[in-house]
Order: sequence, then C-alpha cells, then structure tokens
Amino acid sequence: MTRRPVKVVITYCTACGYESQALELAGALMRGLRTELASLELVPWHDGTFDVVVDGELLHSMLRDGGFPDDPDTIIAAARERGWG
Amino acid sequence: MADQFQISADRFASGMTYEQYKTQMTQRRDEFEANERGWEIDPDDLAAFCALAQPLNVLVLDEDWCDDGCWMLPILGRLAAESGKLSIRIFLRDQHPDLMDQCLNGAFRSIPVFVFLDANFKELGRFIERPASITRLREDGLRWVMEMRPEFRIFETSPALASEQQREQVMLLVRAFASQYAPLLRREVVRDLRMIVERANTQQLLSEIIATFPSPSETQA
Repeated sequence: MTRRPVKVVITYCTACGYESQALELAGALMRGLRTELASLELVPWHDGTFDVVVDGELLHSMLRDGGFPDDPDTIIAAARERGWG
Repeated sequence: MADQFQISADRFASGMTYEQYKTQMTQRRDEFEANERGWEIDPDDLAAFCALAQPLNVLVLDEDWCDDGCWMLPILGRLAAESGKLSIRIFLRDQHPDLMDQCLNGAFRSIPVFVFLDANFKELGRFIERPASITRLREDGLRWVMEMRPEFRIFETSPALASEQQREQVMLLVRAFASQYAPLLRREVVRDLRMIVERANTQQLLSEIIATFPSPSETQA
C-alpha cells in the first residue's frame, strides 16, 4: 500500500475568536503530517463553528461533538488512516 | 431569573470604563465606532433611561473580536452617554471566568453580557448575546435559504464540507441579511435594555410607596 496525501479543511468562527485554536491545530497537523498533507485550508466562518474535515469526511464538529478536538494526535492518526491507498 | 449575580463594589470599580475599553481594543475598533454613529435613539426610549431615579451600574463582559459585542456594546454606550444614568464597567471574558460563569447561556459563555445592578450591586436584570427576536429572525433566514436552495443544507452539517463557491454565496447572503436587519437589531436591543430599566423604575416606585406604610409591628400595635 502507498500513502496518499490528505486534504484538510479547518473551519473556525471568527465571531467567537477561534483564530488561535485554528492556528494551533493547523501547526500541529503541519508538524505531524508533513508531506502526508496535500493541502491545509483555513476557512473563517461564523455561528460558533470549529470543524475539521479530512478528505471530505467530518472528523470533528463543534456542533456535533462539542468543544475543540481533544488532541491533535487523534486528528493526525485519523488523517493517516485515510491516507492509506 | 438565574442566581443573583455576585460582585463587590471594589471588583466592579476595577473594570474598564467604556472609553478605556475602546482604547485597549486591538481588533475591530473602526467597526465598533462606526456602529456608535449613524442612528438615533427614539426619544421615548431615551426618556425611560433618563427617568431612572438613581444611576445604575452595568457590568459588561465582552471581547473585542466578538461580532455580537461589536454591534451591541456601542448601543449600550450611546444609551449611557445620552442618559447619563448608566455607569459601565467592562471586563474581558477570558480574563474573568468567575464572572462569566455566573452568566452562562445554557452551556455556552456567550458574549456580550450586560448585567444591570443597583447602587448596592443587587442584580436588576441581564442581557446576553443578542435579543431573542433577532436569534429567531436569524433562524428564519437560515430556513428560508435552505428552502430556496436545498443544496445549502450541507451547512447544517458543516461549512467545512461545502464548496468554496457555496461558502462565498452563503457569506454574500449573510452580509446582505446583516445589513438589512441592522436597524431592527438596534431597536430590539434598546427595547430589551429598556425593559430591564423599566423594571428597575417600577421596583423603585413600589419600594418608595411601601416605605410610607406603617411597619407590620406598628400596624399590630
């Protein structure tokens, strides 16, 4: 099996001031996934959003799961699983 | 009402004045000050604030990045400046979790929060985030959009799943909606704050009348 780089989208609520959490998670994913990351998109949004999508799959949703992702390593591990081709 | 808000006079006095808050703003100050201008307070609404027998203390919890705060706090600021009857002290939410946790919006630390307090720091009423009527209008707006363009239901799951084009289209709708409802928003905020002040005036009136009654011990004698 070969690894395929993954596309990550982080959507964060600017009205709630979630910029720092988005940057923190983005940094952790960049350091953790390095070249396994095809792209990392940061999308400013509203309505209390803090969501993480990897290759079109919603891995974390503030609305659905509550709060921020507990641990960036969980997102990194899930992203790696999806990157196995 | 939720539990009475607890704060000492010294702690209240340690908060920022409205002008001090504006001075320390690092984000959105231009937008904040633009929201102070370009509208008038209805004279009848202002009269209700001017009619206060004694000035009220108003504790505010906010952060300068907050969208709702950028709309609501300038309205409170104008009411305070024009009535001369509101003493505002502002605390940053993230630096004062003990104050914030007395005003939770369900499970959320929603801001802005305005807590109206009498001269003895007894709570008279509170305003959290935005008027309920505006929240309902926002929900209606969202429902209308979903009915017209069912593909936008993807946003109910997550905007992160939508395409860039869909996100641009929705942001266009959100901005149009916000500019459309700005005058209504101001009226509704003033109305909610006026209701708190009218309650304070009524309470004051009743206590003044009751003070003229003989005490129960005198009546029994």
